[in-house]
Amino acid sequence: MASVMKTTRDVKGIGLSILRPDGPDKVTGQVQYVADLNPRGLLHAKLLRSPYAHAKIVRIDVSRARALPGVRAVLTAADIPVLKKKAPTRAHAVLAIDRVVFAGQPVAAVAADELAIAEEALDLIDVQYDVLPVAADPLESMKPGAPPVAELGTEADTSEALAHGSVAGVTTEAKSSKAVNISQQARLQRGDVAKGFAESDVVIENTYRVPMVHQGYLEPHAVLAQWDTAGNLTLWASTQGSFNTRSEVADVLELPENRIKVIPMECGGGFGGKIRALCEPITAVLARATGRPVRYVMTRREELEAGMPAPQVIIKMKTGVKRDGTLMALEAEAILESGAFSGAVLAVAGVFLASLYRWPSFDVQGFEVLTHKPSIAAYRAPVAPQTIFAIDSQMEQIAKAIGVDPVEFRLRHLQREGDKMANNQPWLSNGAVEVLTRLAEHPLWKKRAEWKASSKDGKLRGTGLSLGGWLGGLQPTGATVRLNPDGTLQVLTGQVDIAGTNIALAQIAATAYGVDIDKVKITTGDTDVAPMTGLSAGSKTTYTVGVAVMQAAENARNQTLEIAAKELEASVHDLEIDNDKVVVRGVPDKGITLASIGKKGNLYMSKVEPVLGTSHPAFSVQAPAFCGQLARVEVDPDTGEVTLHNFVVAQDVGKAINPLQIEGQMQGGAVQSLGMALTEALIYDDQARLTNPSLLDYRKLTSADLPSIETIIVEKPAPHGPFGARGVGEPPIVPAPAAIANAIEDATGVRLTHLPLSPERIALAIAAAS
Amino acid sequence: MRRFELVLPGSVDDCVKALAQAGPESKLLAGGTDLLPQLKNGLLKPARVIDLSGVPRLRAIEPGNGQGLRVGSAVTARTLELDRAVRAKYLSLAESGALVGSVQVRNLATLGGNLCNAAPSADMAPPLLALDAEAVVTGPKGERRVPIAAFFTGVRKTVLAPDELLVELVLPNPGARSGGSYLRHTPRRELDIAVVGVASQLTLANGVCTKARIALAAVAPIPLRATAAEQALEGQAVTPDRIKRAADLAVEAARPISDQRGSADFRRHLVRVLTRRTLTTALARASA
Ligand SMILES: Cc1cc2nc3c(=O)[nH]c(=O)nc-3n(C[C@H](O)[C@H](O)[C@H](O)COP(=O)(O)OP(=O)(O)OC[C@H]3O[C@@H](n4cnc5c(N)ncnc54)[C@H](O)[C@@H]3O)c2cc1C
Repeated sequence: MASVMKTTRDVKGIGLSILRPDGPDKVTGQVQYVADLNPRGLLHAKLLRSPYAHAKIVRIDVSRARALPGVRAVLTAADIPVLKKKAPTRAHAVLAIDRVVFAGQPVAAVAADELAIAEEALDLIDVQYDVLPVAADPLESMKPGAPPVAELGTEADTSEALAHGSVAGVTTEAKSSKAVNISQQARLQRGDVAKGFAESDVVIENTYRVPMVHQGYLEPHAVLAQWDTAGNLTLWASTQGSFNTRSEVADVLELPENRIKVIPMECGGGFGGKIRALCEPITAVLARATGRPVRYVMTRREELEAGMPAPQVIIKMKTGVKRDGTLMALEAEAILESGAFSGAVLAVAGVFLASLYRWPSFDVQGFEVLTHKPSIAAYRAPVAPQTIFAIDSQMEQIAKAIGVDPVEFRLRHLQREGDKMANNQPWLSNGAVEVLTRLAEHPLWKKRAEWKASSKDGKLRGTGLSLGGWLGGLQPTGATVRLNPDGTLQVLTGQVDIAGTNIALAQIAATAYGVDIDKVKITTGDTDVAPMTGLSAGSKTTYTVGVAVMQAAENARNQTLEIAAKELEASVHDLEIDNDKVVVRGVPDKGITLASIGKKGNLYMSKVEPVLGTSHPAFSVQAPAFCGQLARVEVDPDTGEVTLHNFVVAQDVGKAINPLQIEGQMQGGAVQSLGMALTEALIYDDQARLTNPSLLDYRKLTSADLPSIETIIVEKPAPHGPFGARGVGEPPIVPAPAAIANAIEDATGVRLTHLPLSPERIALAIAAAS
Repeated sequence: MRRFELVLPGSVDDCVKALAQAGPESKLLAGGTDLLPQLKNGLLKPARVIDLSGVPRLRAIEPGNGQGLRVGSAVTARTLELDRAVRAKYLSLAESGALVGSVQVRNLATLGGNLCNAAPSADMAPPLLALDAEAVVTGPKGERRVPIAAFFTGVRKTVLAPDELLVELVLPNPGARSGGSYLRHTPRRELDIAVVGVASQLTLANGVCTKARIALAAVAPIPLRATAAEQALEGQAVTPDRIKRAADLAVEAARPISDQRGSADFRRHLVRVLTRRTLTTALARASA
């Protein structure tokens, strides 16, 4: 797929820092999100949600709600015949049937003329519940006899792992008749672990815990649904993948896919939370029941209570090494709490745990456990931050215990290209070593002793770093590139731009075709018109769609040159594109403009074929991408408050197509990573009800908590990426939890293994230690 | 949010009348930073909302008796943060205003709203307790004064009757050699609610503490004074040892619960730390 470009001059394309063209519209409020759409006859939807995490629905009486003026429809599961009790995914569980399995699960739906009327109608629906025992804690829920979550015989959902395409060669199995809530389990083994530990000098054992966290996209889930009289459904959606949304809605509502058109609206962030369908099916059903366009926009509270957060991850890890630092054995057990529906990327967790460093023997087990909480979804490099927190905290402690430099220790044992991962697949080319080396050369790392010694006013100073990464996803895709009658280029994909990828794709088209970026326009088409494509997830948009766009542009270029060759009566090989025309090399006045070639392709009675470059590649080679982060902190030992003085992100991006956008991804990812490290947690009570359902108590970091974040772009070309590019979206969310834990230990001597590294945990640990 | 009728009185009298007519189904609206989230989340569903933004008297800051200060209930947190008269003698109150929410929230949030919402964590309450403030309340039966220490009766409960409104706070002059400080702990630097808040005020004469006030937020259903800790300082020279002892006594006054914002243990720990720190600052300011 990699191709050598034969451009004869430097076009303004890849490598330039170009502002996103959609930026000004976004910051000035001009962009239309789903919530801004206001078609004639619009109705507003609201969902009645269960206050209980586990209860039998005895009776629902909607008669009073239906009688409220302005209410157009009130539906329960009984009104939707396609619903099945054994819902395999959250999307299929449109409304609860007989039993609710998490607090916040929709039980009834209302469409009304005004939002306030829809809300009033919710008050008028009488639901009688029989409250049932709750499985609120994954460790309890794993035990035989725990209250069951899924209906007996519901299949585990491993499609999320497939969608991320991240690991091959691990089979996860749904299992265990006794432990009803273990929905998947996996095991990876190599060598003799018992012997490895027996021969170890230093054995370290810890349990790491990372709570459920929410992706925190600015725009909540939102959708607008409308049917035409012929029975075609149109969905204006905030989604990370319009074709996936179409497939899921088609599956849930038992519709042919070509009867559904998904129009991907401007997406105000997704981070994995907008991959799977959530409120689309019920909104479509309400629209059908009323014959009117219906819009549903989740509130922030609903997002936090009943969105699709990241799983809680509990990792027990035991490592054994020789005093000289030789790695001997690794034993780990990872428990992923998935909430009420299966769907965790269990295999990814297992592979990560045993594949980063060269453990000669390992035994890694993983369990996906269901509880009565909202079901989970992906969150930017799903389970990588959680597993790297465990791995990297552990590596740091081992280095400390045997008294070696922590960077050298990591570098010595890091798996290199060709080494076997835990699933026996070879590691592919990656920049892990380069990234870690760059961080270790950073003055903040070199001067860490001075920083520590400079502690004053009772505060303690420290430095920490961590290395993590992401294997990179794959999915077939497609793109077309057309030459317009005025010589400009038109790129079409179905790929949703959630990260500034469209400008990068346009830059790729410019360079591959041979025109400047200002000649290129890129459009994300809807599912009726665009070439089919995958999710904007798995750090694969630039990596895969970039290849499609590059090939389509090359294809269009070749078509253009062939037409020019005929027109100029020259050989294709003697031609080159010089921004707005095709010229014969060495004969500057012999040429034809792109505009005239474009025009001929759209002229009445013309025999010249219009230029239409196409590409629809599938992929088999991933591009792992690594990110290292370094934190310089100051800790108030009395209050446990952590002040971040400096934060550095170094990342291998393969080739920086648009450095500015990449830096934005690195900084944004780092901020989310730091939030997981320091403050974020969905906190549930013993009845599995969320106790912090607002952004005041669910603490994303604000700019007041953050220093300016330094970025270091490392370029180790990905052999199969477009111009060598790798995915950049996910890696920067991975390292901060371990980097901060390591920095806190450097400052205070206290090692913390549970996230978030809150002031309370820090202060009480310091108090207990002294 | 449910539909409601909005009333816009132009004076305190109109407001009292509107309250009397509206009955228990009505709510007063100042900045709305507490009320609106409660309406949106369906915790409250009032039929009528009485908006105080058109009542100028409630926004006034005026000199009080004996060189004290009268602060209207609708004075915003941002004004408390910046107002010269407040900063001159009541720095702890200005500090508490400066800590609320973000600048956007502070431009809306009012002193009266903070007190009448009566959250155990309300930041502006401890400084007022430490400053011996009085609340001026009015209703159909006329005006009455309530010492701020008696204003709060429980979580989200005050002495206000449903037809009464808080007009202003009367702050006595703390005197020349007096200094105060308010500190709170939050996991996040901005936009967060106090896990514990502590206000201290020390008044000195001839090197001896003549009056000590220590008030705590978020460690009991209502904001509390740590009176035993105060007494341990009064009549004494304030030394680091005595500050330490007072901080220990303040911990005994706290009756914290564990919730999603912090455990009871951490809250006790913070009372000790923040009492020590606010007393140290108050002493420095009183001595300056
Ligand atoms: C993002 C955010 C951050 C916040 N951060 C903080 C913080 O750091 N510290 C903190 O303490 N609080 C904080 N709060 C809570 C809130 O901002 C404060 O309590 C604020 O002072 C409330 O004032 P208000 O004018 O907005 O009150 P409103 O919401 O208008 O009213 C609050 C209550 O008081 C009643 N009321 C208002 N005025 C009167 C009156 N004159 N007489 C009788 N009753 C009255 C209302 O009926 C209502 O019940 C925060 C809130 C938000 C949304």
